[in-house]
Amino acid sequence: MTENPFIQMQTIKKSFNGVPVLKGVTLEVQKGEIHALLGENGAGKSTLMNILGGVHQPDSGSIYIDGEEVKMLNSRVSQEHGISFIHQELNMVSDLRVYENVFLGSELRNKVGFLKVEEMCRQTHEVLAKLGVDVNPKEYVRNLATSYKQLIEISKALLHNSRLIIMDEPTTSLAEHEVNRLFGLMKNLKKSGVSIIYISHKLKEIKEVCDRYTVLRDGELVRTGSMEQENIETITKTMVGKAISQERFLHEHPFGPVVLEVNDLTSDAFKNINFAVRKGEIAGFTGLAGDGRTELFESLFGFRKKYTGEVKINGQVVKIDHPRKALKAGLGLVPRDRKENAIIKDLSVLHNMSLSSMGNFEKGGFIKDKEERKKFQFYKEALNIKVHNPRITIDKLSGGNQQKVIIAKWLEAETELLIFDNPTQGIDIGAKQEIYQQIVELAKLGKAVIILSSEAPEVMRICHTINVMFQGEITARFSADEANEEEIMNYATGSKREVAKIG
Amino acid sequence: MANINVKEYQPEARTTKNRLSWLWAEYSVIIAFIILFIGSSILNPRFLDINNQLNILMQVSIIGIVAMGMTVVMLSGGIDLSVGSVLALAGVISVLALNASGSILVGVLTALLVGSFAGFLNGLMVAKGRIASFIATLGMMAGARSIALYIADGGSVSGEVTGFTAIANSDFWIFDVPVLIFFVMTALVYVLMHKTRFGRYVYALGSNEKAALLSAIRVDRMKIGVYTLIGTLVGVAAVIETSRLNSISSSSSGSQYELDAIAAVIIGGTRMTGGRGKIIGTLFGVLILGILNNMMNLMNVSPHLQGFVKGLIIIIAVVFQKRE
Repeated sequence: MTENPFIQMQTIKKSFNGVPVLKGVTLEVQKGEIHALLGENGAGKSTLMNILGGVHQPDSGSIYIDGEEVKMLNSRVSQEHGISFIHQELNMVSDLRVYENVFLGSELRNKVGFLKVEEMCRQTHEVLAKLGVDVNPKEYVRNLATSYKQLIEISKALLHNSRLIIMDEPTTSLAEHEVNRLFGLMKNLKKSGVSIIYISHKLKEIKEVCDRYTVLRDGELVRTGSMEQENIETITKTMVGKAISQERFLHEHPFGPVVLEVNDLTSDAFKNINFAVRKGEIAGFTGLAGDGRTELFESLFGFRKKYTGEVKINGQVVKIDHPRKALKAGLGLVPRDRKENAIIKDLSVLHNMSLSSMGNFEKGGFIKDKEERKKFQFYKEALNIKVHNPRITIDKLSGGNQQKVIIAKWLEAETELLIFDNPTQGIDIGAKQEIYQQIVELAKLGKAVIILSSEAPEVMRICHTINVMFQGEITARFSADEANEEEIMNYATGSKREVAKIG
Repeated sequence: MANINVKEYQPEARTTKNRLSWLWAEYSVIIAFIILFIGSSILNPRFLDINNQLNILMQVSIIGIVAMGMTVVMLSGGIDLSVGSVLALAGVISVLALNASGSILVGVLTALLVGSFAGFLNGLMVAKGRIASFIATLGMMAGARSIALYIADGGSVSGEVTGFTAIANSDFWIFDVPVLIFFVMTALVYVLMHKTRFGRYVYALGSNEKAALLSAIRVDRMKIGVYTLIGTLVGVAAVIETSRLNSISSSSSGSQYELDAIAAVIIGGTRMTGGRGKIIGTLFGVLILGILNNMMNLMNVSPHLQGFVKGLIIIIAVVFQKRE
């Protein structure tokens, strides 16, 4: 290593309930560098950062800042040392205004003790402008889209004059241009001497913006070095311990008859939507934040009711105004934002799996626990769900395994068409591959699949047809062979649009 | 040598500690019950007397039945403040029906019907009207009491059919019938909540309503069902209450039952916001309240102070549960 690192974490060990999570990890971050912290879910990244942030105390090991040993007794101490932690889960108070959130806990006050509202608004506006966000600081946070919330979270860290900012997956809900702006900002911060620890599963981003990296696997440091000399494949390999291809998963096979046909669907979030999906087809929908794709499919699934137009399933016109009817008609939805929309965190893994298809496990009105366990065992093996005891509540699993349980839930419901909204959100690479594999398997079995994703490469890898949406309209449709990332972006940003009405 | 041994056994010690904390988290209300029970037997020898024990059960049976329904409502993320008033209303109307028809069966069925209909209305307001359960049932609480007062002209109504009082005043083996009804209701609600899809859906709804809806659960119907269920149980409680003295007071019967029922549910470890809790917990919560009342009577604590002690216990119970 080079001369004195700014922050040094030395042989940190930590166990939870007797299970070692960190087995003597050393991490060094220089002044003014962007350091990528990599590893699969469960590798110990979050624990390590929580120790640095004062949330957890290490069992052994020490932390040095500028060569001096410090004890991070709680998060306040950590903040006083100039460390800001931008959590993956957004810590926003949605009933407060933007500036109130930004200054929460460190409000500016005048001599008498009253709040200096205008000053706070001005600073908030300034820092948001740096991120290229134009939001009224007096707007309530609940009215904002997720991507804005994430940017506000980031601006909070910027205002606190941090010397080290920890970013845990800051780009999950950001659109491409917002990501670019964030990167620009990170580079500026770097120049002004701020260090950043950057946690992400998106290796391309990391390659673009990070100087050095550290890879953790199973609580151990496996590799650390400079980013320049590495390519993505070797890093991926060290993360999962085996090589993973970035190749397309696409499987060519003949499609069956049309399962879902949508004609002229219109609501306040989307307009004139026409498309059809056939048996065995994987259709992708991509676009930037605010393109209306989530709203479109939530409407199809009966979660939103105010829309006009015609929906046909297997040639029959159906009126779906409740998810139950969608299920009966043969639609399944694996929603985005798993924590809010998909998992029932107080129910066990087992009960989450069976929730949408209780009829399969009943006899005479009573639930047969044994059937449930048997079925879960089946999915556990089929989807490689890593859980020791399926009776623990689902929130104890890692993101990837939670998602697999949700997928199992919908497989068990045996719908003809499955909609996946952002299926790999916050999931590590290994589990991502498995989920893609599973989706392709489904299509092979003759199910129709729809994938919604903000990541163009993701839909390009697994979809047969790709629909690009912009401001509530389908602006382009590609077959898998025609599509390239640049073209997709052109249509997604609205800089190009196909003239002919498609459908 | 001894030192080394100690060191080697540390992981073991840690797991026992874990196991203890797990035991506490899962069964804290039962442990509290046992402590209270032992403490009471030491403090007052009369406590252990079998007649006293049966008396406690008899006294908690009505609140116990209501608390079972309250557990289900609170697991679904709601609350029902109208139980006391609905109990009075169901009692008053059932006595009128009883006297008019001369049939005990008609009287009982009327009580169940009035209770479940009031619950159904609560459910409609919460599910379809999207009114917060606290507000909707607060309205029902005022409304039902007022109608009861109006019908009974502010006073009591008494049964005129012989045999009606037998429901609450006979016994079976050593147990009074109300106690048996309480046990049967507890068993039924237990089975409903842990062995049928209704229960599973209630937990799901209380834990994450949006995810439950997106899992294709008929959330609205579940809510209506939950409030109808507690209404029916209130009807059962109304029959016992009326039959015990062969009369029901439109002004005082059932008053503050909602508070006792909610207290029992909370002491039993059910989370206020729903999704987590156990029927067994509520059973012990009810028993804890019963023992407290009984002990305060045995020890001649002023009835004016009894509310204070009860309030203290509720707060202590919740503070301990927060620890986990």
